[in-house]
Amino acid sequence: MTRGVEQATDEDLVAAVLAGDRDRFGDLIERYQGRLVNYLFRLLRNADDAHDLAQEVLVKVYQVLDRYDPQYKFSTWLFRVAQNAAIDQIRRRRLKLVSLRQEDEEGEGRDWDLPSPERGPYGDLRNQERGGAIQDAIDALPWEYRELILLRHFGELPYEEIARLKEMPLGTVKNKLFRGRQMLKEKLRDFLSD
Amino acid sequence: MNRPDHSTFQEWLNLDADGRLAPAERARLDEHLAGCEECRGEREELAAFQSLFERTAVPVRSDFADSVMAALPHAGWEGRSPRTWQFPLAVAAMLMLVAGFLIAGSTAASVPSGLAALDAMGGMVRAAALAGAGLLGASWKGIGLIVEDIISSPVSLGAFGFLVLCLNLLLISLVRRRKPAAAGLGRGGREANGGR
Repeated sequence: MTRGVEQATDEDLVAAVLAGDRDRFGDLIERYQGRLVNYLFRLLRNADDAHDLAQEVLVKVYQVLDRYDPQYKFSTWLFRVAQNAAIDQIRRRRLKLVSLRQEDEEGEGRDWDLPSPERGPYGDLRNQERGGAIQDAIDALPWEYRELILLRHFGELPYEEIARLKEMPLGTVKNKLFRGRQMLKEKLRDFLSD
Repeated sequence: MNRPDHSTFQEWLNLDADGRLAPAERARLDEHLAGCEECRGEREELAAFQSLFERTAVPVRSDFADSVMAALPHAGWEGRSPRTWQFPLAVAAMLMLVAGFLIAGSTAASVPSGLAALDAMGGMVRAAALAGAGLLGASWKGIGLIVEDIISSPVSLGAFGFLVLCLNLLLISLVRRRKPAAAGLGRGGREANGGR
């Protein structure tokens, strides 16, 4: 590969991996891990599960990398695999999508463990409140809006890729994202002024 | 172009927040924002919205990439990687060269030309093709005779069964050697390209 890793496109990296340079898959992981884990976290509502499933998704993608069609964006493919895997897991575990707290085996509630950009116990508490409020607001969205909001804001996919992934007209994607944001904004108004 | 209505500007604000607004529309939006307090407030809210998502993002474990790389199995396509063909190709080329030199050496006295080697190799290929065609016809008769011979005595039948068993064990051991160690794949899921 003549271009550096920074300049290399996803498709360049895939081609390098298929040619035998396994380490380039590490570059793809570095490129997508943040988005993938956060996207799955919002679907599964648990950071450990999100990491585990992200790993599972990346391993699956690696196993069938030779079937990747470069005429599509790698990110579109990756997030489609991730979404399918998350839906499968949600179905298997029968998660209740309306609850902020998740009960562990002893029946104890568990708060989200989110990093705090503010120092001190108040900052931690406030950030947990924010995280919980975001999750509540996202969970309350109808699925057709929720999936697009997650793909756009946590998967950071552009509109065109979302349209291709969901097989929707571009205008429909824009419209649904707009309406989904309006719904979220209503619920998160108290936190937007922080 | 008609003057966009207020809802259009609000949609443009969303597109602008994503960096997806065309320059011409961006100019019209800026013009509108200068005189519309409601839309300016909307823009600030959108920025706060994105900031809220960023502040509550889950940090990725520092060892995540390494753990995924360590869990990567030997994929089926890796066996078909172009690099894996380099060794057999190199061996085949080497054999051809050696054969060429040997034949050239044996015929050097009569025809002192490098073309003699190629001619000899061509002769070998023709002979092999003729022999193969003959063998193909003979092989069906041969197989019939062998099977008849095997089933005619319990000893030869047992020896044949033992040979088949050994070959199967060899095959299984080869397949197992290539099986991936898929660490971290405790849960199943849809085939990775299932939704493509």
